[in-house]
Amino acid sequence: MRVPLIVKVGTFALAVMGVYAYYANSIPQIQSTLPEELSLEGGNVTPEQLVKAGEGIFKGKGTCEICHRIGQKGTRAPDLAGIGAAAAKRKPGMSAKAYIIESLLDPGAYLVEGYPGIMPKVDRPPIGLNRSELWATVAFLQSMAGTVDVKLDDIPKTAGAVVGAEGAAQGAELKLPGDPKAGQVVFMGKGACIACHKAGAIGASPIGPDLSQIAKIQTPEYIMAKILDPAGMGTVAGYPPNLMPPTLGQTLTAKEYIDLVSFLLTLKGEASAQAPAASKR
Amino acid sequence: MQLDVIKSPSGPMRNFQTRATLLLAGILLVVAGPAWAQGTPGGQTEAYRSFPLIGSRLAVWGAAQLHLYFAAFILGVPMFAIIVEFIGWRTQDTRYDWLARQFMKLTFAAYSATALLGGLLTFIFITLYPRFFGYLVEIFGPTMWMYAGLFFVETFTLYLYYYGWDWLSGPRKGIHLGLGVLLNIWGTILMFVANAWLTFMMSPSGVDEAGKLTSLWGAIYNPTWMPINVHRLIANITFGGAIVAAYAAFRFLGARTDEERAQYDWMGYVGNFVAVSSLLFLPFAGYWLGREIYAFNQTMGITMMGGFMSWLWVVQAILIGVLFIGSNYYLWLGMERIPGSERYRPYIPYLVMILAAGFIVWATPRSMVATLEETRAMGGTHHPVLGVLGVMSAKNTAVNLMILTTFVSFLLYRRANRVATVSWVRSGMTAQWIIMGVAAAVVTFYGVYGYFVESIVRIGFSVYQVLSVLAAIVCVMAIDFPMFRRARSTGAIRWGQIAPRSQYVLILLAVSFTWLMGLMGFARSGIRQHWHVYGILRDTSPEAVTPALGYAANMITAVTAIFLAFVVLIFWLGGLGERGAKG
Repeated sequence: MRVPLIVKVGTFALAVMGVYAYYANSIPQIQSTLPEELSLEGGNVTPEQLVKAGEGIFKGKGTCEICHRIGQKGTRAPDLAGIGAAAAKRKPGMSAKAYIIESLLDPGAYLVEGYPGIMPKVDRPPIGLNRSELWATVAFLQSMAGTVDVKLDDIPKTAGAVVGAEGAAQGAELKLPGDPKAGQVVFMGKGACIACHKAGAIGASPIGPDLSQIAKIQTPEYIMAKILDPAGMGTVAGYPPNLMPPTLGQTLTAKEYIDLVSFLLTLKGEASAQAPAASKR
Repeated sequence: MQLDVIKSPSGPMRNFQTRATLLLAGILLVVAGPAWAQGTPGGQTEAYRSFPLIGSRLAVWGAAQLHLYFAAFILGVPMFAIIVEFIGWRTQDTRYDWLARQFMKLTFAAYSATALLGGLLTFIFITLYPRFFGYLVEIFGPTMWMYAGLFFVETFTLYLYYYGWDWLSGPRKGIHLGLGVLLNIWGTILMFVANAWLTFMMSPSGVDEAGKLTSLWGAIYNPTWMPINVHRLIANITFGGAIVAAYAAFRFLGARTDEERAQYDWMGYVGNFVAVSSLLFLPFAGYWLGREIYAFNQTMGITMMGGFMSWLWVVQAILIGVLFIGSNYYLWLGMERIPGSERYRPYIPYLVMILAAGFIVWATPRSMVATLEETRAMGGTHHPVLGVLGVMSAKNTAVNLMILTTFVSFLLYRRANRVATVSWVRSGMTAQWIIMGVAAAVVTFYGVYGYFVESIVRIGFSVYQVLSVLAAIVCVMAIDFPMFRRARSTGAIRWGQIAPRSQYVLILLAVSFTWLMGLMGFARSGIRQHWHVYGILRDTSPEAVTPALGYAANMITAVTAIFLAFVVLIFWLGGLGERGAKG
């Protein structure tokens, strides 16, 4: 039987593409995943947990490993082995902790001789580490031949603020048709959130993370999803897993849910934590 | 000579109606897009919607890649159609006019598919990524109107150019050529406008830290806009040439008469010649683009070359190697149908060796994402021996020498059936070899010297390497033209008497070009990782993961196969008119 030309040519073309696809499938497969937001604010985190979290950021979201090596001389960036101790000697009068924080937030302030000034500010996009992540990263760097003594308050409050169109979308453009005051009532009453969470001037329970700045450090999508699917959205480091009830999506009415989210979105730190008038009574 | 035109009286009107509908839909999209993207009356924008079965990402990926393939084709083919038509006009060789018209017939058929896919892509953006599209409209709204207007103008210029072929012949041929030039200008501007949108996503500028527009021109003229413009301009010519050559190959393999075989053999040669000629300039444009990406954002550049995408360049190297070796092989096979070419056969093994060596260097990776165990086994982050070949110094040297080798192959092909008769032939040939030798020496010198200087100095060396190769090509041809002007012929080229496997090489080249375009599109888009607009608008959809190379390769293969199937369908439809004309 004579094979039609179109079949011959088509088979040939598919075979060529098949070889390329096979080759591409047979070499190491690396995918770039969406970096997860780490939130440690208000939590009782041990130095070990902090260092471990920082190592994860160093190798993942922080993309530090692209240029920095530990125990090997790199061509793009200095070797970070022993940086916890070496950092104290880099700039006269500056502690190791202060130097590391400065290096992350303003890398151009001091350049190690022989290396180009190519490092981006890690709290700005595209890396965009938040304060918790900066805190953990500093702890990890300090742990290399140094003493882990960094506190969350050492990280400037202005660091890690969300910028860009996304930030604008989160801040100015997101207008939920909910009532924050009613949401606070849900927080304190039917939702029973107050049993575990602090929210600005409201509540004091240390069982769950302090939510006083939740609107500043998390996206609305995260907050909304966390209420509906607490386990699916992960557990904040330092807190026991599976404590948050998974049934809020069923027990709250739609209005209560929107009100609660609206309330949580007012929690932006010191100034806004006491925003709801209800709490001032 | 058979000239193919769409004879059906309803054809043009049907085409016009299709395009008019598409244009109307396009304009409605641009107008309604922002309003649609606003979402609910409360002003809340829904960021993402889901596409059934395959998900939003695959839907947008498939539509975008298909649209780009067709767009590249309809932009690339008219560029050399006009060159070929011009040659035919000047030489009065009707074959060239026939060829240009054949090219345009294929473009014409692909035009509707391009517009349809563009409309589909816009619909997908509006419905599945409303917040992202709304943001793009906020920034580029005025340019979208401009795009729609230009589309009108380009369409009508195309009608005039194609349907006016006979009317504007003879003494009015100059006007026809002018229309062809105009058509290419509109097409190029259209591409530049669309490029502004996609390059803004990679390297946004003209906006403040909150992503608000501060300068529309700043957003358009962002750091990667011009390198992408130039790169795509050249790549489109290469792509168009390769597809036309593949079409000719297909027709050659199915030809029933010697005349047909001769016709399509010649068409395949010209298509491939245009493709390879422009291919030689692509690596330079690629380096420029790479340099601008590094200059814009080091992290992005390093992610591209040394981060999770580092293995992609190994795959690219394989394809580049196939393209260079395939192009040369086609020329060598073509020499078999040229009487007198036997005297050049002894050189071919040496050319093969240079190409193979260049291919090996080009395919050697430098930076790899490796596990600690792998790193330890290598004795460092780079392999002690192969790592030396992985740096840009070695790669620049390799690719420049491969380009020079391909040029030598072409030179041998060009003079295969000609013996120069000018008195200065000996000194002319000596001068040519010296020029090429000097170029190779300059390329090698800067390649080696590059290991001993800082990277910022090394980057500058690539310019010297490129210039020396280009200068050598220009100088050698400047000698070659007068040297072979009154050359003695050793026999006419026996068009049509080429081995059938040569036609499969042309198909291989077209498939490889198409697949490579898909791969590079993935690289360009993938280096943004989880950002719609890098550093400005984050991708927070459930599909924000940038997939691994294998997954991407499967997707590229699927889309390329669909595209090639579409092309075959379009060619078949084009052939229907031809069959009808033959009666």
